[in-house]
Amino acid sequence: MSLLEQVEWRAVGTTCSAAVTTGSGEEQRARVALSAAQAEVAACEGELSRFDPASDLSRLNASAGEWVSVGPRLLETLRLAVAAREDTAGRFDPTVLPALVAAGYDRSFELLEERPATRADGWRAGSAIELDEARGRARLEPGTAVDLGGIGKGYAARRALDAMLAAAPDLAGGLVDLGGDIAVRGETPDGGPWRIAVADPRRPGETLAVLALAAGGVATSGRDARRFGPSGSLHHLIDPETGEPAFAGPLTVTVAASDAAEAEAHATTLAIASLEEARAHLAARPALSALYVPHAGPPIPLGNPPLARERLVVIAS
Amino acid sequence: MQRVWIVVLSVWAMLAIVAVLAWSYRPPAPLPASAAQTVVVKGTNGKQQLVTVSAPAHATTATSAVARP
Repeated sequence: MSLLEQVEWRAVGTTCSAAVTTGSGEEQRARVALSAAQAEVAACEGELSRFDPASDLSRLNASAGEWVSVGPRLLETLRLAVAAREDTAGRFDPTVLPALVAAGYDRSFELLEERPATRADGWRAGSAIELDEARGRARLEPGTAVDLGGIGKGYAARRALDAMLAAAPDLAGGLVDLGGDIAVRGETPDGGPWRIAVADPRRPGETLAVLALAAGGVATSGRDARRFGPSGSLHHLIDPETGEPAFAGPLTVTVAASDAAEAEAHATTLAIASLEEARAHLAARPALSALYVPHAGPPIPLGNPPLARERLVVIAS
Repeated sequence: MQRVWIVVLSVWAMLAIVAVLAWSYRPPAPLPASAAQTVVVKGTNGKQQLVTVSAPAHATTATSAVARP
C-alpha cells in the first residue's frame, strides 16, 4: 500500500510543501527526498531572491552594465525569463522591477509600509539581459533591474521536484508546492493523476475547481492577494506597456503546463490579459490550458481540448 | 441526614456526568473543501464530458500568499 509522506515549511516568502509517494519501508528514503527538496528551494532562494541583498540576483541588479558571475539557477531562470518575454511579445517582462518598486512593492511583502505610489522615471520595458552561459555570467542593460517573481517559484518548484526524485529514484512520484506554484511527476498513492485544487478567490477556503495532472506544473496569478499601497488599492501585476499596476485582467488565472516555470510565466502574462487576449494566447499555445476567473461570473476554462486528457479541468459542482 | 447525603451525591453524580460529556465531546470536523464532489469538464475532440470526482486534492493552487507566521 502506497502512502504520501509530506513536509511543510516556510521559504521564498510563502508557505511551501513537498510530498512523495512511498511504499512500506521507504520512510527513510522519503525523508531524504523531502530534505533534498527543501535544500534545493533554499539554494534557489539564495540565487533568485531580490529581497536578500547577498543573493546572486541582488548582486546582478546592483551592478547593471557589468558582467556578473552568477549561479546556474539564476542563469537558467534568466534564460527562461528572456524566452518567455520573447514568446509573449513582451507581455511577460522580468525587467519591470523599477516600476514595481516605484509602485510601492519595494521590500518583502510582509514588511511593506503604506506609501503613495509613484512612477519609475525613465523606465521602459524590454531592457537587455545578456547571458554568457559558457562562463556563468550575466549582464543587465544599465539602469535595468530584474524581478523573477513571475517565474522564480515555478522554476524552484520544478528544480526541487527534480532534486527530490533524484535523491530517491525508487520513489514512485512526488509533488512540490511553493505557495501555489506546483510541480508534479510520477504516481500518486492511489495511482491516478495528481489532483490540484484551485482556490476560489471570491470565497476564501472554498475550492473552485480541481485540475488533474500526470506530470507538469500549475501556477496561479491574480490580484486577489499581495495588495498594497493606500487601502490595498495597488497590486503587484505590472503592465509592461504602462509601467503601472495593470488595469485589465481577471481576478485570478490558473495555468497548467508541462513545466512549472512555464506555467507561472504564462499565468503572470494572462493575469494582465483581457478574456479575448487570453483566448488568443491559449489558442496559439496548444500545450497550455488555463482557468480564467473573471471579477464576476463563472470561471472560464481555456485551452486545447485534445491535451485536456493530460490536464483535466474540473469545475466544482 | 440521609436526604442531605442523597442530594450531595446526586449533585456530584450530575457534575461527573457533565464533566465526562464535556471531556469526550469532539466538534464535528468540517469536510475539507477539496474533498467535495466535483464535476469534470473534459474536452476530448471538441466534446465536453462530465465526470464525477470525489477524491481529495493533493495540493491547492492560489495566488501566492504571504507565509503564515
